[in-house]
Amino acid sequence: MKAVERVDQFYLLKQLPKATALLCKEGVLLDASCSWLEIFGLPPINKKQKTQIFSLLTEVENLSEKLQEGKSFNLQHKLTRNNETRHLKSYFAPWFDEKENVIGTIVQTDDITSEIEKEEELNWLKNILETKVAVSKTGWWEYEIDTEKLTWCKETKRIHQVPDCYEPTAIEAIEFFKPGYSQNKVSMLFHKAMANHQSYDIKLTIVTLNGEERWVRITGKPFIKDGRVVKIFGTIKDIHNQELAEQRVKEHQQLLTTLVDSLPLNVYVKDLESRKILVNKGECTYLRKRPEELIGKTDFDLYDREVAQISREEDIQVMKHLTPIIGKEAVSNLNGKTTHFLTSKIPYFDLQGKVCGLIGMSLDISSMKKKQEELCGLIKITSMQNQKLISFAHIVSHNLRSHSANFSMLLGFLNSEKDPQERKRIIDMLTQASDNLLETLGNLNQVVDVNTKTSETKKSLNLRKNITGVLHNLSAFLENNHTQIINNVGENMEVKCVPAYLDSIILNLVSNAVKYKSPDRPPLITINAMKSKKGILLSISDNGLGIDLDKYGDKIFGMYKTFHNREDAKGFGLYLIKNQIEAMGGSITVQSEVDKGTTFNVYFNEES
Amino acid sequence: MCILMKKVSCIFIVDDDPITVFGIKKMLKSVADCEDIQIFQNGKEAYDALAERQNLGKPIPEVIFLDINMPIMDGWDFLDEMINLNINEHVVINMITSSIDPLDYKKWSGFKDRCPYVLNFKNKPIFKIEPNDLGCITAAS
Repeated sequence: MKAVERVDQFYLLKQLPKATALLCKEGVLLDASCSWLEIFGLPPINKKQKTQIFSLLTEVENLSEKLQEGKSFNLQHKLTRNNETRHLKSYFAPWFDEKENVIGTIVQTDDITSEIEKEEELNWLKNILETKVAVSKTGWWEYEIDTEKLTWCKETKRIHQVPDCYEPTAIEAIEFFKPGYSQNKVSMLFHKAMANHQSYDIKLTIVTLNGEERWVRITGKPFIKDGRVVKIFGTIKDIHNQELAEQRVKEHQQLLTTLVDSLPLNVYVKDLESRKILVNKGECTYLRKRPEELIGKTDFDLYDREVAQISREEDIQVMKHLTPIIGKEAVSNLNGKTTHFLTSKIPYFDLQGKVCGLIGMSLDISSMKKKQEELCGLIKITSMQNQKLISFAHIVSHNLRSHSANFSMLLGFLNSEKDPQERKRIIDMLTQASDNLLETLGNLNQVVDVNTKTSETKKSLNLRKNITGVLHNLSAFLENNHTQIINNVGENMEVKCVPAYLDSIILNLVSNAVKYKSPDRPPLITINAMKSKKGILLSISDNGLGIDLDKYGDKIFGMYKTFHNREDAKGFGLYLIKNQIEAMGGSITVQSEVDKGTTFNVYFNEES
Repeated sequence: MCILMKKVSCIFIVDDDPITVFGIKKMLKSVADCEDIQIFQNGKEAYDALAERQNLGKPIPEVIFLDINMPIMDGWDFLDEMINLNINEHVVINMITSSIDPLDYKKWSGFKDRCPYVLNFKNKPIFKIEPNDLGCITAAS
């Protein structure tokens, strides 16, 4: 009977829903519920195999002493089975018999793994939050509507520079904001959060306890329960330094934009693919496009292919070799307008010092260029005229001086001469000198006329008609010299020339050709005219004496230069016609061979 | 009259201006005693005569009056050619010009340094032929 009772008792134990085990005084497992055995992964109880509780709770120290004390206690322990760790909590209570004698221990074990894990997760989250607050310097605050209690976290207090013990009210918190805009704004947002359930996120200024003005970013979010705001939670972050830095960046940007836009230059920045990534006003005005039409475009989208190709090659050169192009003169044709630029391209580096594009600047120098060209033209004309003036001055001084010197000398003789016959001779000489002076003055006057009356209008003249006219006037002179003339000038050849000058040019060249004829052959003069690049070319060739140009080349058109022994050679004709031709914008050249002949080429400038 | 008449064997006057030639000849009458005065209209004529005299061993002119601006061959070219003739006799050359061009004076100084003869520079007008022009250095004093 006793045995049956015992079996029943143990069988009952086996079925207990809570994991329960019975230990004898020595800690040997006597019996256990199935759930207990399952926790520890033990087989059903076998009398022969004695399981010690100590072998199951290996990590617990002094367990046997504790069991000996005969008091209740509990402990947490871990059990690793099949690579899985379970957290367990076991309750130990003394096991009494009917006489209240301790006969062993009752153990009840709970699997508390999920609680432990949750706790760990919570701790982890708390940790993360703390780290986040610490790293991001973002504090939080919380306002309970019902209790009107405002809570600030440590960081929030730090931001306000208040001690940790400080507990603000909502009104005090609002009063920390700078009076005026910040305070008004935050009051309104706080109110709206409560009344309209609106969240907010804004940058405002607070005045800390120490009186420092600082930028903060404050957020607030209402928590709603049953359609009613119960709580407002928010964050606060000190963004003073960022805000100042941002403002400084903005100011710099403003300065730079104003500067770049106001420069009297076309400025652009290109990326490595030569796409424009920045253009200033000047560049936009020049290209007649808005900035957004230019950003991302390359020169191939804006200019002729050839121009764009050259520009791209320059860009590559600058970006590859990092050698800037400074002040290169360039010509750009756009919309039929030619612009001269002084362009510079310099490599553009990123913050790591790596080239990331280039900065281009172009200065429009068209007007300067035009002025420079005008100036060059003027300088050329001036220096030419100056040269002419100097040589003319020398001629004048020499020729006039020689006559006046003769006067002085002859008058000196006359003064001391007593012999009437000799005096008469001297007076004849004086008359001669006077005539010479008059002639020289006449010649000089002609030259001055040519050079000063530039207003002498050029007319379109028929070249052949004018030649025929001059030849007619010279006919007696030509006949006397048995001159043959071949006139190849076309009927309709027209030249732009001052009529008197054309006659003078033809007369001088033809009469020269006859004057300096060869004694061995009758003069033969060939006259040709043709159109050339430099204008109408009139050339007059003879078969006369010719002249050694190597020796006299630079003197042939000089005043009073003669090269042959002829009484009527005055050295004035060629000098005069050269002046006349040049005054009309033309030119004259000569080719000659001694004892073969001479050819004079006259180019008439066709411009009026 | 205490002017010393200098005896000169031969004088060349090279000038294309007949009035100047007349003047020089007239002035010479009172200072030089010369049987052989030759007139040339340009440097070429004078050079040809000079070369011929050298070839034939005829007397070389002791004094030459030389104009600068002349046709065909001017005074400078004549000087160049004459230096090339390497005449050993003593010759006094008076360059006579109406030019007041500083360039002519500079050219003269250049020639003076490399010319083996006495080379004077005389600006027109001339009123008197100095003993110096005839090669008499201290004769008058």
